Amino acid sequence: MHTVTVTGVGVVCAIAGDAGAFERALREGRRGVCSCPDGGPPAALLDEEVREALPVLPAGAPDALRRSAERLTRRAPLPLRAAVGVAAEAWIGAGLHIAAVPGDRVGLVVAGSNLTGRHLTDLHDRYANRPAHLPPRAALRLLDTDHVGTISQLLQIRGEGCTVGAASASGNAGLVHGARLVATGEADVCLVVGALADLSAIEERALLNVGAMAPGPVGPPFDETHGGFAYGQGAACVVLESRRSARARGAEVLAELAGWDLRLAANSLTEPDGEAEAATMTRAMSRAGVSPGDVSYVNAHGTGAPLGDAAEAEALRWVLGEAVGGAWVNSTKALTGHCLAAAGVVEAVATVVQMRGGFVHPNPGLAHPADPGLRFAPATGGVRADIGVALSNGFGFGGFNGSVVFRAPA
Amino acid sequence: MDDVAILESIRRQTVAVVPEIDPAEITPDRSLADLGCNSVDRADIVTAVMEELAIEVPLSEFRQGAPVGELVELLRTHA
Repeated sequence: MHTVTVTGVGVVCAIAGDAGAFERALREGRRGVCSCPDGGPPAALLDEEVREALPVLPAGAPDALRRSAERLTRRAPLPLRAAVGVAAEAWIGAGLHIAAVPGDRVGLVVAGSNLTGRHLTDLHDRYANRPAHLPPRAALRLLDTDHVGTISQLLQIRGEGCTVGAASASGNAGLVHGARLVATGEADVCLVVGALADLSAIEERALLNVGAMAPGPVGPPFDETHGGFAYGQGAACVVLESRRSARARGAEVLAELAGWDLRLAANSLTEPDGEAEAATMTRAMSRAGVSPGDVSYVNAHGTGAPLGDAAEAEALRWVLGEAVGGAWVNSTKALTGHCLAAAGVVEAVATVVQMRGGFVHPNPGLAHPADPGLRFAPATGGVRADIGVALSNGFGFGGFNGSVVFRAPA
Repeated sequence: MDDVAILESIRRQTVAVVPEIDPAEITPDRSLADLGCNSVDRADIVTAVMEELAIEVPLSEFRQGAPVGELVELLRTHA
């Protein structure tokens, strides 16, 4: 088995337009979640200028790549434009535009399903009464897999590719799938893209009606005042690469993806399953060969849903045991909102950024933890932290449980 | 509807879908494929022209590789 490393990251969300800005926002603990002016559900939406400009390619992007990205995403729905931007950022960050890897040795996994709900309802509103004028390109744009096709054309990726869906655990499911491709040698490099979920009004309302999304202003994840998740717009990309390939190219290794696990809870509903969560974390740590005392940081799934926060806190206490006081815990969703399908990848980027930066971001607003048994990062101001091993969780409706373990590069 | 109005609509919609194309190059003797439009671009352009002109032509009636002049004629017969 090959050692799986991270050699590039890219992100766009309510608090940052790229990974560099993301690090600054995490250090500050900037809250992207804003209350709705008319008292409706709070949300962390992309800055309007950022949204209109997508995809934004980083400085240093070759002109040909820039033109191709522009051509491929013209008039494309927001999720696709965001995905192309973060994929290009991670690709260039990994130096893959300079020290190339053959296209057939590169894989592409897009994490997320049901990504086109808003586009579908927009088209329905406009064309239901005159279907002959529906743009034929909709046949492509309405496929989640348009993300795969478009990014593969942009970056000339010719290895294995697909979308992976696991509700809000999609990001971690994508990381697991990508890690397997690299670990088994099917690919030397695999991009894992967490796709932006652009909810239609119907999907948003369903999440409200089922009681998962906060209907109005609520406290942050893990606080006694939590009351559901705040939706976050975001997309992220991680370049996974075998250590051998990274060495051969002279690419800098940002972190090692040392362990992973993905399992079901035999449950089709919205309820979390603490036992399944604990089993997932334990297996991911076991695969990484780390013990509870080695874990210095946990990026919790922590959406702010009271049942979910309670189940995860209890599972963490159980998994970490006596070492629970040694691991910092925060929820990036307090800053970015819940990026749904992309959450696991956004939080993988947050984990790698904090690991490299030697800090743990604050939990803004967390004044009275509902479960005081964890070592929560403070509400204001991050803390310096030497993160050797980090655990990042992602759980989804329908019994999906995913955990990944990152290790600082040797 | 006169041919000039239809040609102008084709020019507008072609540039909307593929801005790199110089509208002056969109002449009756050229095909959209020659001008650098891929298959989905061409389908989008033709549909957008129909939307703009409020006409409907079954897509099966468009011949692949047809010059712009032939498109104009086909669209005119359905206008």
